[in-house]
Amino acid sequence: MIVLFFIVVFILLFALQTSLISYFSVGGVTLDLALILSVYCGVLLRGDRGIWVGFSIGLFQDCLSGGLLGVNTLSKSIIGFTFSRLKDKLMVEGFVPISVILFVASFFDGLVYYLALTTLLKAQIPFSFLFNTLPMYAMVNALVGPIMFFFLNWSAKRILRKFPLLEGTSQ
Amino acid sequence: MWRKRLSDRKHIILLVSLVLASFALMTFDIRRSQTPTFFETTLMWVVSPVQNLITHSIDALGNALDNYVLVTEVSNENEKLRKEIDKLIHQNNELTEQLRQKGRISDLMEYQQKRRLKSIVATVIGRDSTQWARVVFIDKGTQDGIRENLAVVTHAGVVGHVIQAGVNTSKVMLIADGRSAMDTLFGDDRIAGIVVGTGMEFCEMKYVPITADVNVGDQILSSGLGGIYPKGLVVGTVISITKATQGLFQEITIAPSADFGRLEEVLVLLS
Repeated sequence: MIVLFFIVVFILLFALQTSLISYFSVGGVTLDLALILSVYCGVLLRGDRGIWVGFSIGLFQDCLSGGLLGVNTLSKSIIGFTFSRLKDKLMVEGFVPISVILFVASFFDGLVYYLALTTLLKAQIPFSFLFNTLPMYAMVNALVGPIMFFFLNWSAKRILRKFPLLEGTSQ
Repeated sequence: MWRKRLSDRKHIILLVSLVLASFALMTFDIRRSQTPTFFETTLMWVVSPVQNLITHSIDALGNALDNYVLVTEVSNENEKLRKEIDKLIHQNNELTEQLRQKGRISDLMEYQQKRRLKSIVATVIGRDSTQWARVVFIDKGTQDGIRENLAVVTHAGVVGHVIQAGVNTSKVMLIADGRSAMDTLFGDDRIAGIVVGTGMEFCEMKYVPITADVNVGDQILSSGLGGIYPKGLVVGTVISITKATQGLFQEITIAPSADFGRLEEVLVLLS
């Protein structure tokens, strides 16, 4: 049941990411729903589930991207792992802490992609990417991400109320 | 104590396994042919109808919103007429969209006939799921004759090339992608250079000698070398030139002719 639920969420999320979200571009970057969901699951799912969700989101994202297969799997797995392990030590309530977490996660995600492409594929990505595009991307996720966090929390509460069978998946 | 150690070790093993699995995927991706894996094909097949639905809904909503502004003025004058106008506008929206689409397609067909290219019109149904790769999804695949390394253009110029062809959908890497490189030449001087993507809006032209007379506004064409793009396709226009005091080559920035932000229909060159 829970697997089916996540598959439906993933399909909707990626359909939105690859169509609607691209219309809302700020300075050439758009919101990364997959990253925000990875962080959300890493922080809020019980036990190691966040790691596996991060891994699955990364794999899905790689399959629906023209980039190098495995890059997002790597970054999202590490993000899921890190926040899954650190969730008890972090404060994840309120706009500012969530923004900071998302900023760091976004920066890490972009850095992994940059390093993978420039080292493994010898792609011609200018160095200025690290100082212009990447902070902008991290900033967009950090500003809009908390709203998605609150929306996901609200949805999760409603879904758990309607489908108590899913109870036990979140903290 | 030993339980905590065991748990810590378990987590480290898990992390190492995930990292190794990711690197294995990257190695596999670099070494494999460009045919999509079963998992990729399945996922594209599952997601593409939802993408299609969302893309078409956005188009319809955009047109409806544009026209609704016109309707409100009329509605203030007469409520009864407004209902009638709403109905007519709805029909008008559909017709206008059809006309616009036909206009775009006829531009492409005209271009196709002018260049006598064997090609197929495809609709852009989605964009890359990550920020970094400049890739779009089109609604044509192997069953329509699409295969890897086919050039994709619009009437304005070169868009990119097919990097993966699924059964019903394909992935097209835009020339702005950081991994893209194509052999080109200047329209007037015929000086050769390589246009590479930067992962951002503009492209760069490399290996143009410092002595070459290049001006802002010069047009860049495909050279026909490389086996993907036919000769003479418009690639872009020079928007800035930097000549370093030391160095053999100029730094040239190119604005691609095709508007990647507004890609709706494209032409895939089959031959």
